[in-house]
Amino acid sequence: MIERQELHDAARAALGGTIMAPRDAAWRQAAGLGWLLLPVPEEMGGLGLGLDASAAVHFEMGRALGTAPLLPALMVIRALALAGKTELIERAASGELMTTALVLKGPGLSGSAGAYRLDGTLEGVCDADMASHVLVISAGLGICTLIALDSPGVATSERKLWDESRRLFNVTLNDVAVDPGLVLAEGDAVPPMARAIKAEMLCGLAADSLGGAEAALEMTVEYLKTRRQFDRPLAMFQALQHRCADLKTQTNAVLALLWARSIDKDASTADFGALKALATDVYRFVSEEAIQLHGGIGLTDEYPAHHYLKRALANLQLGGSLDLWRETAGRAALKRYTA
Amino acid sequence: MTDQTSLDALRQDLRSWLAINAPKDWRAIADHQAFATSQRQWFMKLVEAGYAVPHWPAQWPGGGRSLAEQKVIYEELARADCPRLLLSFVSTYHAASTLMECGSEAQQARYLPAILKGETWCQGFSEPGAGSDLAAIKTKAELRGDHYVVTGQKVWSTMAQYADKCLLLVRTSSDGPKQAGITFLLMDMKAKGVSVRPINQIQGDEEFCEIFLDEVAVPVSDRVGEDGKGWAVAQTTLSSERGLTLMELSYRMKGAMWRIADLIRYNGLTEDAGVLRDFGHLSARVDAACATADQFLENRMMDIERIGDASVVKLTYSRVLREWSELGLRLGGMAEQYRAPITFGDLNTGNWMADFMNSYAWTIAGGSDEIQRKIIAERMLEMPREPKGWVA
Repeated sequence: MIERQELHDAARAALGGTIMAPRDAAWRQAAGLGWLLLPVPEEMGGLGLGLDASAAVHFEMGRALGTAPLLPALMVIRALALAGKTELIERAASGELMTTALVLKGPGLSGSAGAYRLDGTLEGVCDADMASHVLVISAGLGICTLIALDSPGVATSERKLWDESRRLFNVTLNDVAVDPGLVLAEGDAVPPMARAIKAEMLCGLAADSLGGAEAALEMTVEYLKTRRQFDRPLAMFQALQHRCADLKTQTNAVLALLWARSIDKDASTADFGALKALATDVYRFVSEEAIQLHGGIGLTDEYPAHHYLKRALANLQLGGSLDLWRETAGRAALKRYTA
Repeated sequence: MTDQTSLDALRQDLRSWLAINAPKDWRAIADHQAFATSQRQWFMKLVEAGYAVPHWPAQWPGGGRSLAEQKVIYEELARADCPRLLLSFVSTYHAASTLMECGSEAQQARYLPAILKGETWCQGFSEPGAGSDLAAIKTKAELRGDHYVVTGQKVWSTMAQYADKCLLLVRTSSDGPKQAGITFLLMDMKAKGVSVRPINQIQGDEEFCEIFLDEVAVPVSDRVGEDGKGWAVAQTTLSSERGLTLMELSYRMKGAMWRIADLIRYNGLTEDAGVLRDFGHLSARVDAACATADQFLENRMMDIERIGDASVVKLTYSRVLREWSELGLRLGGMAEQYRAPITFGDLNTGNWMADFMNSYAWTIAGGSDEIQRKIIAERMLEMPREPKGWVA
């Protein structure tokens, strides 16, 4: 509890209220502040902290529309920790970016035990231009492995997003050989690793969304207090006050769920998915209302409100869509709730 | 914090006790008087077993339970499908916290033990002309020697037809700001000049009442706080119902999720993606309401509650309760449009029309959603108040 608050405070101070800071410097800062050590077990020289700790930092990154690829990096580091890959953890935690995809579509993998060759396209790989490796999971083949991005047969190409705070790439694998030294899990070890990676991803996206929602709402309320029409600040109109109160209430309710679920050892992937769906939907609602409540200025490129909306709409799709996770949560709830 | 072993022990003890003692046929009670009787009996059983007032301080029998223990108790009571303590709701929450925080020693000694003997309280706050604008109350109290003489009308008093005592807000002065002339009294409902009329509600229940006061004498010794300082006392009363109550109600709503799940199964919709999404969304919303209530109580216990937090909890619960009953009503289809018997004293019964209509009790009573939004906007978001001075 106290640790989490300290992380919030330290991260907020370090980010200094700047939004969309230049990426390369932001990444060096994230590594320098030790955020990559958060999920590394203490015996491997890390901080050994759970999802709530990384969520606290993702929340602050969300507030600041952070550009550093902390989320994919921590997803990979959680997998490395489970695999006990000490040497790779050291490299990853010191700032060598090992990335992964935030779009849930596996490549068409082929191969046989011990000699995998990979073919296909990974969509939504974060910041592949500055990464050394990409993590690939195939439930079908039963393998979770890193691929060096400079391997023969690997090609990357950026796909520009509306959301300019993130950079996503397609990574194409053309008959790429898997290095046995980079395999993190095979067979039965894959599902638990996939669960750990997804938990970080879903909690991270939820936290990022709620941080963004909080910042967008603060910005909106401040603007309403300043902007005057009809000889009074807009913030004095009850029609607008009540909408802001709803935005605040919805954000706070999902925040309470985030902190409860991120320390719940029994939470399933469906539970994290339900949280992610709720949080990204609230972010969409808040950032959409932020533009409307700002009025014309919200439509200008120089005013930052649109950056929150674009990140919110991307967050809705990354890590699995609203529809996917709501349906998954519905199935899980049907099983859980019996008379 | 209570350790897991003792929590498990509490759960086991309570579960065994409930296996024998949990009321069985209360859902079928169709008569208001019989419902009140069953409520009284159930409360006294819980008092004897030490489960009635886990939120009271430790010097009281059954009190001093940690938050974790209280949650276990509410979970198990809901799991065993026990009725809510509707009749003793105001006495164990509103009256108790008001007396404990603001009452004199004499008042505490006189009234608190009586609550555990079954004395019930109602709340005389709202009036026909003072709903959301509670400070506009007009019920007048005049000081005559050692007692006040009270005349006026109160409304929306939960279970007042069965109450022994009343937490009463009266106007003792019309000078200055309207909040300044309010005094807080403890009134005997059996006193001369008190009459009560239950209100027939849209779902067929009679949970709320009107109270008519005609020159009712209330001793000065039954005044809480000073003359003209009742508004602050009333805030204590109101904040009590937004904490623990909402945790209990949130977990009861979660505990009744199976009713919607059953409806989905019964209608053969378990593979309907649209229905699954709606149910998944509701399930997450219900979990969020529970987490919000939990966090509020944790913050309160650690003394880091912020202004407006209670309003966020109440507004979250009231909206999610509406969504809960809306989904049930929608899935229930035409079948829900035919009248069916209602269950008294429960918000999550599976009679979907009744549950839906009953959900308004939480979006309107205890400070409407609109009042909660006003508090959140003005106190949490620090948005400026509208200027006063509008004249019709």
